[in-house]
Formats: sequence, C-alpha cells, structure tokens
Amino acid sequence: MRRTPALLALLLSIVFARAILADDPGVAIRVDPPTLRLAGPDASYSILVERVLADGRAVDVTHDAEFRSLAPGVVDVSSRGVVFGAGNGAGLVDVFCAGQKASVSVVVEGSREPRRFNFENDVVPLLGKFGCNSSGCHGKAEGQNGFKLSVFGFDPAADYAALAMEGRGRRMFPAVPEESLFLKKATGAAPHGGGVRIESDSREYALLRDWIAAGLPRGDATDPRVVDLEVQPSERQLAMGSRQQLRAVARYSDDRRVDVTRLARFQSNNDGLAAVDDRGLVTAGSVPGQVAVMASYMGSVAVFQALVPNEQPLADAADWSEHNFIDGLVHQRLRKLNIQPSALADDAEYLRRVYLDVIGTLPTAAEARRFLSDTGADRRERLVDELLARSEFADYWALKWSDLLRVDRTALGHKGAYAYYHWIHQRVADNTPLDQFAAQIVTAEGPLAEVPQAQLFKVTAKPGETASTISQVFLGVRIACAACHHHPFDRWSQSDYYGMLDYFAPLGQKSSPLGEVVLASGGAETRHPRTGELMVAHPLGSAAPLENARGDRRAELAHWLTSPDNPWFARHQANRLWAHFLGRGLVEPIDDVRATNPPSNPALLDALAAYLVEKNFDQRQLIRAITSSRAYGRASRPNDSNARDEMNYSRALLKRMDAEVLLDAVCQATGVGEKFAGVPAGYRAVQLWDSRASHYFLKLFGRPTRASACQCERNVEPSVAQVLHLLNAPEVSRKLSHPRGTVARLAGALNDRDQLVDEMYLTFFSRFPSQRERVVAAEYLDAGASDRRAAVEDLAWSMLNSLEFVFNH
Amino acid sequence: MNARSTYCDGLRRRDFLRVGAAGLFGTSFAGALAAAQGRAADATKPGHDVSLIILFLRGGMSTIDTLDLKPGAPSEFRGEFRPAATNISGVQICEHLPRTAKQMDKFSLIRSFGHGNSDHGPADHYLLTGYKAGAGFTPTISPNNQRPAYGAVIARKLGPRGSVPPYVCLPQMHPSAGAAYLGPACAPFTIEADPAAVNFSVPDILPPLSLDAARLDRRRQLLAEVDRFQQSIESRANANAQAVSTFKQKAYDLMVSPQAKRAFDIHSEPAAMRDRYGRHTLGQSCLMARRLVEAGVRCVTIEHTNWDTHDNCFFVLKNELLPALDSGLSTLFSDLADRGLLERTLVVATGEFGRTPRINKNAGRDHWGAGFTVLVGGGGLRGGVVVGASDARAEKPADNPYGPEDLAATIYRQLGIRGDEEFTTPEGRPVKIVNQGRVIRELV
Repeated sequence: MRRTPALLALLLSIVFARAILADDPGVAIRVDPPTLRLAGPDASYSILVERVLADGRAVDVTHDAEFRSLAPGVVDVSSRGVVFGAGNGAGLVDVFCAGQKASVSVVVEGSREPRRFNFENDVVPLLGKFGCNSSGCHGKAEGQNGFKLSVFGFDPAADYAALAMEGRGRRMFPAVPEESLFLKKATGAAPHGGGVRIESDSREYALLRDWIAAGLPRGDATDPRVVDLEVQPSERQLAMGSRQQLRAVARYSDDRRVDVTRLARFQSNNDGLAAVDDRGLVTAGSVPGQVAVMASYMGSVAVFQALVPNEQPLADAADWSEHNFIDGLVHQRLRKLNIQPSALADDAEYLRRVYLDVIGTLPTAAEARRFLSDTGADRRERLVDELLARSEFADYWALKWSDLLRVDRTALGHKGAYAYYHWIHQRVADNTPLDQFAAQIVTAEGPLAEVPQAQLFKVTAKPGETASTISQVFLGVRIACAACHHHPFDRWSQSDYYGMLDYFAPLGQKSSPLGEVVLASGGAETRHPRTGELMVAHPLGSAAPLENARGDRRAELAHWLTSPDNPWFARHQANRLWAHFLGRGLVEPIDDVRATNPPSNPALLDALAAYLVEKNFDQRQLIRAITSSRAYGRASRPNDSNARDEMNYSRALLKRMDAEVLLDAVCQATGVGEKFAGVPAGYRAVQLWDSRASHYFLKLFGRPTRASACQCERNVEPSVAQVLHLLNAPEVSRKLSHPRGTVARLAGALNDRDQLVDEMYLTFFSRFPSQRERVVAAEYLDAGASDRRAAVEDLAWSMLNSLEFVFNH
Repeated sequence: MNARSTYCDGLRRRDFLRVGAAGLFGTSFAGALAAAQGRAADATKPGHDVSLIILFLRGGMSTIDTLDLKPGAPSEFRGEFRPAATNISGVQICEHLPRTAKQMDKFSLIRSFGHGNSDHGPADHYLLTGYKAGAGFTPTISPNNQRPAYGAVIARKLGPRGSVPPYVCLPQMHPSAGAAYLGPACAPFTIEADPAAVNFSVPDILPPLSLDAARLDRRRQLLAEVDRFQQSIESRANANAQAVSTFKQKAYDLMVSPQAKRAFDIHSEPAAMRDRYGRHTLGQSCLMARRLVEAGVRCVTIEHTNWDTHDNCFFVLKNELLPALDSGLSTLFSDLADRGLLERTLVVATGEFGRTPRINKNAGRDHWGAGFTVLVGGGGLRGGVVVGASDARAEKPADNPYGPEDLAATIYRQLGIRGDEEFTTPEGRPVKIVNQGRVIRELV
C-alpha cells in the first residue's frame, strides 16, 4: 500500500509544456506551473508568476498578481498565489497582472481521503519551522527547561520520544488534543519562555492537533522520505531592489514532489546583496554581485543563485584586454554585472604587491629602482620568476603551511615543532607538488625523528580532530559539526564524520628505541554514537564499503584525496592560492566549502583547479598564472562602477599585512632588524618557526597561536593598540632614530634634497614621489634644515604610519 | 544589522564628522586637545549610566574557603579557615577577609550559583559572556569568543562616554573577553601592563618623551599630507582601511584625552590610597578600574590569575591570594562608595567556577562548576543580601539555583540593556544578548 506524506500530501505531475502566454505578444506573463495536479488531503502548491521582457529575461511578479479561482469549492487560491485542493474535480485559476491574464489548470484528487501521518515527514519539519528545535532553544545540547529536541531535527526517534513519552507523557493528551501541554505552550495558552510560536487558527496547528488526536502515529519505516530539495527558479538575474519569490519543492523517495516553501528555512549568504524572508521572498539590495540563497528542509539543501547587476550599463571605454585564461572568466562575470574594472596598476604598485604576496617581503629601494627602470615587455613575468626562486619564498609559504598544519611548540615541544617546521620548509623549497605533500602527511607513519610530518597526528590528538583538520586543510570542508549532529547547512551526517574519523582511529604513539613512533595498529573499531553501528572508513561523499581495507587504511584516503577527480582537493588548493593573492576567495571563507556556500565564479574556480591539475599540482605554476593575470594586476583605486564590489575582482583589494610581514617591512624600511628569542641574529619574522615565541608586536598584530587549523586564527583585524604602537612605541621610535638606520644613513649621505626624498619613497613605498609629494617633503625638509636628521625622521615616521605602508594594495 | 550603526565604531557619527572636519590631522594638536576637552565636558553631565567592573579570579576561587564556609561539614570538606562576622548580622565570610567583611553591606553573595562545567576554557567563556561554549570552541585561541563578552556588548549598545574607550581590559585581555561577531570596533582596549609595576604606564599611549609638542604637531600635519590613502577612495572602498582610519582617530583621542591621561596615570593617586588598595597586581588593578570608571569607561575587566589552587590551597590562600583580594576588593567598595560612584558602578567578583568541596590528597581542591558563590555589589543592586544557599557540603545549590545566564540578565538589566535584543552573527544567526536568564529578584 502506498503511503502519502500527510502534510501537504499531494501528487503532482508538473507538465513541462511550454508556458501559457497571454494573448498580447508585447508583454507576456508566464505562470509556473501551467497545469497542476493536487492529490490527497490538504494538498497545496504555490504559483509563481513572471513577466517576460522583450529580451527574454523573466521578472518575478508573483506579488503583483491577482489570483481568482473559477471553481470555488474545488480549488481555493490565496492572495499570495497558493492553490489548495478543496474538493475533488478540476478547475482553472486565472492570474491577472499588468492588464494581462494567464491561467493554471488544476485537477484535485483524493482530497477527502483520510490522512496518514508520518512523524518524521509531518511533525519534525514544523518543529524546525517554528524554531522549537533551533540551537538557541530546545535544540540546545542540554535542551531548554527540561524539554530537549535534536537540533534541526536530525534525530527524529529521539524527538518522538521527547514529545510522546518523556515528561511522563504529559506533553501530549490524545483524548483532548487541544489540552496537550505541547500545543498550549506553543500557542501561548500556557506560559512559555519561547513565547507564541504557532497561531491556533493556522493549518499547522490543525495538523498537529489531528496528529495528536490520531494517537501520535509514528508512521512506517517504509514510508517515503525526502530525498532531495529543489528551489525554483534556480537562478535569475535581479535588478537592484527587485523581488523574487522562491518555491521550495521536496522530492520524496516515491518520486512525489511536495511544495515545502512554508516549511523550509531560507538563508542568504550575503544579506547586502540580497536578503530573504522566511517565506522565501528574496529582495535584492543595492550592491552588484552574485548571491546564493539557501533553502534547507529535512537535511536536504538547495540553492537559488542571483546575479544583481549595476543599473548603469557599461561604458564603452573599458579595457577588456585579456592576458590569460583567468581574465576571460573574470571579465565575463563583470560584464554580466555591469561592473567596469579598475585600470591596470602601474609598475610600482604591481612591484610592491607582488613582492609582499609572493615572498612576504618589501622590495628594497635598489630592487624597486631596478624594476622601475626595466622596460622589457615581460618584466612582470621575469620578476615573478625571480621571486619564486628566492629563499624568502620558502620561508613565507612554510610559515603559511605551519599555521594550518599547526606547528605548535606548546603541543609538540621545541624539538618536535622545529623538526616538523623544517620538514614543511624543505617541501616548499623543493617545490613538492601539493598532492604529494598532502599524501606524505596523511599517510605518515614511523619514528617521528624520521617522519616529522607525523607530528600532525600528535598535535591533533584525537582521530576526530585529525579527520576534521585534514578535511579542513586539504579540502576546505568543515565536518566538525557532524560529530554531534547532521551538518545544518550541508549534506554531512554523523556517518560521514565517523567514516572519515575511522581512517585515523588505528593511529597511536608508542615509544621505541628510535624515539616516539606513530603507528597504525589494525582492528580499531569506531561506532556510530547514536545508532551504535560499526563504522567503516570511507571518504566524504562516498558510500561506505562493507568492511575496512586490510593494512593501513590511510593509503586509500590519500589516493582519493589527491586524485585529480577529487571534487574538492584541487579546487580548494587553487582557491587558497587565489584568495591569498586576490584578497578574497572564490569560496569565502576559503575553508568553508559547501553546497550552500557556492563559489562566486564557479567557472573560474574550475579553470584554476584544472590548471593546477594540468601542471601536476605545481603551485608555482599557478602562482605564475595568477600573478600575470589582468585581474591580479589591477589598480586598487576604484571607479564609480566598482567601488562597492568586493567579490568579483574588478579592483585590487587592500590587504592588511600579516604580523610577521609587517614587522619585517618595518625593520627593512627603517634599516634596523629585530632580535628574536631562540634564533640567531639576522633572522626575519617570517622565518620564525615558533608561533609562541613571546613578541609584543607579533602578538599585537594578530600572529596565530596555531591552536586550530582554521584560517581565521590569523587575525588581520586592526585595533587601537596597533595604531598606537606604530605611532608611539619606543621600539619603533628607536628604529627611526637608530645611528645605523635608514634615516641616519640617508640624512648623512644624501645632500641633494630630491635624491633624498626619492630614496625615502623608494624605501618605504617602493615608488617615486609625485610632483606634489616631492614639494611637500622638500618644504618640510627645508623648514627643518637646522636639524636635518630630525626632519628626515619625521618624514619616515609619517610614511610608516600611512595606510599606504600598513596595507598591501 | 541596523544595530551596527549605533556606536560601534567608537565614535558617534556626529563626533566623527566634527573631528574629521576640524581635521585632527590638519589642524593643530592644541586645537584637537580643545575639541577633546569640549567633549569631555559633555560626557561628565550627571546621569544614571551604570558602569561594570568584573574582577575575574581566573583559575577558580575556592568559595567554600572564602564566601560560603561550612564549619559543620566533615573535616575532609570544611577546610582550615573559620567563618567570621561581617557588618551584616547573621552573615559570615572567611576570617582571612576581615576588611571585606566590613563592606558586606555594599555587596551581596549569590551562594546558590552553579553551571556544572568544570573545564577552565568553557567555564571562563560561560561566566564572561553568559553563554555556554558550543561545539568547535577552542579555548587556546585569543580571543576565543563564540559570543561577545560583557564589555563588547556594552560598547556596542551604549558606546563610549567621552574620549575614553568604552571597554578596557587589564592587566591583560582574557581570551574570552573578546567581541566575537560584534567586530573589532567593540573589542576591548587592553592595557598590557601591570599597574603595580613601579614604572607602570599604558604602552604606547604617549609619544616618545624626546618629542616636544611642536614637533608632534608638525609630524601629524606631515602624516596627513603624506598618507595619500587616508582621504582617498581607496580607503573608503575598503572596510579594514576604514577601520584603521577610525582607530587612528581613536588613538589620537586617547593621546590627547585629558580624561584618559589622568585616569591612566596611577602614579598621581595619593600614596595612602595606593597603599589601601594594596601594592600588588590585584589591588592596583582594582584602583585602576576605579580610575577608569571615574573617567567614563563603561566596562573594565580585570583578569587576576593563580586561583587554580590544586595544591596547598590553604597556605596559598591565606598567605598570598586572600590578603591581596581583601585589600583590593574591600577598598574598591569603600572607595567607590566614598566617591558616590557605587550606585552607578556594578562590581562582580567571581572565578569561572568554585573548587571541589572534598579536599584532595595534595591539600588542595580541584575544579568544581556544580556550585559556588558569586559576589556582586553596587550598580543599584541591593547590598548585604545572601541569595540562596548551597547544600550542607557546598556541593551544589540547595535552593533558588542561579547560573551565568541569570547573572547576565541581572547585569544587563542594571546597565539598561535589554537582554532580549538580538545581534545577527555573520552566518545570519540571530542571537539574543541574554540566553533566557532570569533576573535575580533578591538583588533588585
């Protein structure tokens, strides 16, 4: 016997015929769906209405339309365009908008059949819709005032027990359902800390009441379940300030489609671009860009993507020249959004940016002078090649990887942390391809003295932490939520989490004559914390095999992880590099990859990933491609059309320098180095392996402690104390006035005022001064001629405290 | 995100424009000073703004040995100290807090407090934010806040009072004292220095002494000319650059603020008063907190460490911790009262938890979140009250149990902040200021 999901139970067959257009060919309105079959009690479906413009674009007018049923008693329709089956039969719903008319033909069947309830399909979604099981209320780990539900309804069996059985059964009263404590609290008839959640005259109330009256049926294990969710439409271009009604449709395992718009949760990934209300009505803002609106329902998610272009069409003058594959894909998006990119950066701006991005080091005045006098057409590419070959490249990127792979002295000890850092540094210096780098870490086994990368399994002490660190660092996927419950915004369940965890469950540390050894010992068992089922190791998104592979399971994981077909690995590594250079990831935050956080330019992400694979995961090759693109080489100066755009790479974004890079820049520009504890004199901050070494400047400017694998640990947020430090700190002041520093050297050596000013600008800003700047500086130096060194020091101080110095632009 | 426009950039919009127009960078240092003084005058208008001082006894103070003694408990519980009378009849606290006992009329004790968490990191977060730490909480990151700390909420909702920052931490910032999703502008200004140090000064608040006022003036004018991004569209189109610009204004405000300068100069405090507070970190931090609140700071969070007394608890308490607490806390209450500030200064003294009522084999006590005592006073709360009681061995609340949510509800109520208002996290999740706590009725 077929069972129907009772709530909004309906059978639908949407005829994907051509839209029914109104008579007037000039302005047409289009209804979706044009025909509709509603089956079962209480069936409903919402109609979307669009106007079709001359250029073929569709504009949502659902909320401007009027709806009229021609068959009252068979078909009812609400003012928002929701059609309800009232009695068996057939009838038309007429839709009027802007003087046009279209019709939906509706067939209603089985409206008088008795309702068959299924707790999971009918009741749990309401607990979500009304916020009962949200993480701030009864969904909290400890529940709320003695009543606990699973967060977002991931555990219906526990929820059923909580509602129907716990509290000595007092929450439900089937004999007089209206007297159930559950309903009285939810409607505010009894005192409820959460206030009134459900109106007692609503359809949802009636459904819950009927379910209680029917004796709290749970339904059968064979009842259909939600298998996926669709949002309609799936993408649209929206004018600024315009609206778009969405419809969320759940597909059940028996292939029925149910309109769950009223029950789904909606969330925009960028409220500034477009906001969404709880009924799925999207309103575009006034910022151009691409936005994703997520709908979630019963563990399934779907995304509506909207493009919100500038109103002002593009000027003809824009320079759309392309240098490589990156530029076409960036330009395609900008044209769609009517965003005009900034001009190309001049050589000086490019020089400073590419030094800081590739090697974390400011160019010296001599280096700047040399590059600025280079007139070769390929000077930028040659410069990048030079930088990639410098030892500072390995220093800087080893620092970045050490953050993510958690080279933490407090967890590993001096020796362990140093060896681990050294291993990473060597791999970067050798240009080990990223896939091999990852595989060598994931499969590391043996004495820590010989395989220092196995320190990762020491710093992530528990297999669950190892699994979530590996997937966050190498795939950009966060699975930690799924340790306790189904990921609220993604497909990951506890099975996925424990499947990944099981790869690392056999790992242990033992002491041996060779020192500490990391070993995988067979036979470790992992059980699902809820079901108690024995877990078998399997990669994210794959089906679990029947039993674990023999030997060390991690070889299988490493193979899957680094395969060119892996949906995340290459994309995530490409995105990490892209985000570093462009100041914002295509997926952002970069280590929060999920279906509901889609890339802002998927074609570009695919192309970057494909390029990385094609180049055998050689990151220097991808760095070459990125740094030679027009997108990377644009000026930071915005124009009218792109000033509000931060996500489409129409201009260079200002990036606060990392703590270490900034400190090195201060040292280099002032000509006075820093002495760090535990390393020989002459070491620069980007060369430090120990993130815990005490240093006020580094701490103040947000050096991470490496206590987690989150990119977010590195803090580039400004603070008052940072500003004060650069303005006033005696440490900075001493560098400016140091007898062997830049100021003393230049003030002593260069008598020519213009030469001096040039040298200062090259040293601090890596560029020559403008005419006006030359005049300002000259006047200042002249006025302070009685103490020339003090005047030069003041100039240096001003430059050090400029935004131009503190930011990479 | 409308709330964002209130005060969080630390300057009221109008002030910002005023300062900007006057051109802090363009006009003279003296002019800026005068402007700041003008604002200072505005800020000292009488009002009923309540400030908050949190004395956080990090590690977890043993309240069974200090504020809730159990002389009738078996010897393996009751400890070495004896209860002594306070200036409220019938209320007793530890014999080693004699000066605090004389101020009992000014504060109250919540003896039925508890939250059941006995881990330092999560319990710290719970006490300092009113929110339990959730999944993914990493105590070792700083800041580790999943929810904003008290001072950050206060900075957002009430904004600065005069030219001093609304929220200050000292002598360092506790990792859970951050602003979370309220953003950098609501983060504390941290005085990274020990006010008890002989040469104490707030780091970097003053230019090097070798620079005279005229040269400072020249430098600032030069900076305004040299920093071509400062006024350009580059920085306007970039949030972090804007923040630096805003912070530069704040930094200048601080540098030229006579209020801040006076408040930070602990050396100008009469020696007798400094002695009364006690010449130690805890005492001088309490004194600094009083000075800051007097100058207009809305929330001061003092982090005092070393209360994690696993070993030799009685010796350490008696000889080191309690004498410091006694002089600092008792003087804070009496001093605030003498200056007429107590009614508008709420003081909370607590650890993240108490300590195991059963004494361990090292003559110490371990972590105990199930039940402990929180001390609160001033800010319009009733003094001399004992709220609730713990059971016979101080293991858990015996009646009227209260927890961090209730403390938050009570604190924010006294500060005039509505606990049911919501902030929206960057993930779009609405989070109430107070997580459904009840106001502690016995105190209001």
